[in-house]
Amino acid sequence: MSSVSVPPSDVSAGLLARIAQGDREAFGRFYDAFAGLALGLIRRILRDPAAAEEVLQEVFWQIWREAARYDPRRGSPEAWLIVRAKTRAIDRLRAMRRREKTFVAPVDEAVASAPDLPAENPGVTAERRELAHAVLHGLPESQRRVVELAFFEGLTQSEIARRLGEPLGTVKTRARLGLERLRSMMKREGDIQP
Amino acid sequence: MNRDEILELAAGYALGALDTEDRARFEALLDAGDAEARAALRDFEATVRDVVAETAEVPPPTVKAALMARIDGESRSRAEVTQILSAPRAAAPRRSLWTIALVGAIAAGIAAIAVGLVVSTVYDRRIDQLGQQQVELQQELARQQELVAILQDPATRTVALAGLPAAPSARGRMLWHAKAGGLLVAQGLPPAPPGKAYELWAISGKEAPVPAGVFTVDARGVGSIRVAPVAGGAEPDTFAVTLEPAGGVPAPTGSMYLVGKL
Repeated sequence: MSSVSVPPSDVSAGLLARIAQGDREAFGRFYDAFAGLALGLIRRILRDPAAAEEVLQEVFWQIWREAARYDPRRGSPEAWLIVRAKTRAIDRLRAMRRREKTFVAPVDEAVASAPDLPAENPGVTAERRELAHAVLHGLPESQRRVVELAFFEGLTQSEIARRLGEPLGTVKTRARLGLERLRSMMKREGDIQP
Repeated sequence: MNRDEILELAAGYALGALDTEDRARFEALLDAGDAEARAALRDFEATVRDVVAETAEVPPPTVKAALMARIDGESRSRAEVTQILSAPRAAAPRRSLWTIALVGAIAAGIAAIAVGLVVSTVYDRRIDQLGQQQVELQQELARQQELVAILQDPATRTVALAGLPAAPSARGRMLWHAKAGGLLVAQGLPPAPPGKAYELWAISGKEAPVPAGVFTVDARGVGSIRVAPVAGGAEPDTFAVTLEPAGGVPAPTGSMYLVGKL
């Protein structure tokens, strides 16, 4: 399935180092490699396509300005980008919820009903969304809730514990089990589609 | 820290969901180069990335174009600022000056908004003050108009009040109208001590003095008081001022400072 070819971490780390020096061309390559990844994530959190594109631009502008702050000891460049995209999208969603009196679907609801979005290319988009949907739905409900609340609603583990009325230790364990299970599911999928 | 704990921290970190304390603990492990922590994180991050990649969407070209234009604009204005600063002033190209002016104008605009936010609260306060001042001015105007009306009335009489031994240089003037009441302006009175005030009395013949109001004086020794007409009873023929407890008393107790007859 993977239509996005992600460059190896050391290559993208090298790009970030050049971006930190003000290298415009390196920035262009980093954008080309990861903008699709970031936009997909942002769109899953924010339904409004125009707002999602604005957030995408903000995220990459932040990358341009703050590339020097990337620390390879603390994870891969794409993870660094993903966390920023997620955080920005959730910030925007919260701001929109505060600002708008009109009803905005809660994120877990948005996640649960992701495939209903209209798009320029509805077939492909819906298919992809359905797929990610299917991946997450391959998790046991209790693990899926933890992963979704953490990743798509931006809650911390203790906030998730409060939300679900579960002990913190249980939430931590479920996050780990959920990711481990996703990992094996993704590997299997990769095996089927080399 | 055991392996399970490291895996849990790594999973929470990859999801961006660790609480502050846990995050600090895990980052300390990473910074220290803990191989197990790094391997676990790499693994989970790759999983998160793969899940996210499933929904990747091709962004419209406008986003990249806007970013590149922003970057070009930023580096151009930076270069031009450098150029302007390093080149002799007269040699600076015109276009650069316009760019500088534009950048300056935009910066000024942003600064103005920021300042505006601060200033608006100051102005809110100022508007409150002005509103209060307006109320005071209207009251003063009404008082003046009333005074003019009294002055223009042929039935209005003037009474001069003279200082007594307690304040020999004090003087006062009372405008008195039987129906409209009057106005006393006093000057040269010593400031009233704390807890004390001047009290005006209206006296009619051998009748007991009737309290006509309490007033204080400013630093220059000037004070004034609007006097209501005396309800019923005889027309007063004498006015006097004594120093009394601040709230006023029903009958004079203190020294007399001013007195005058109609």
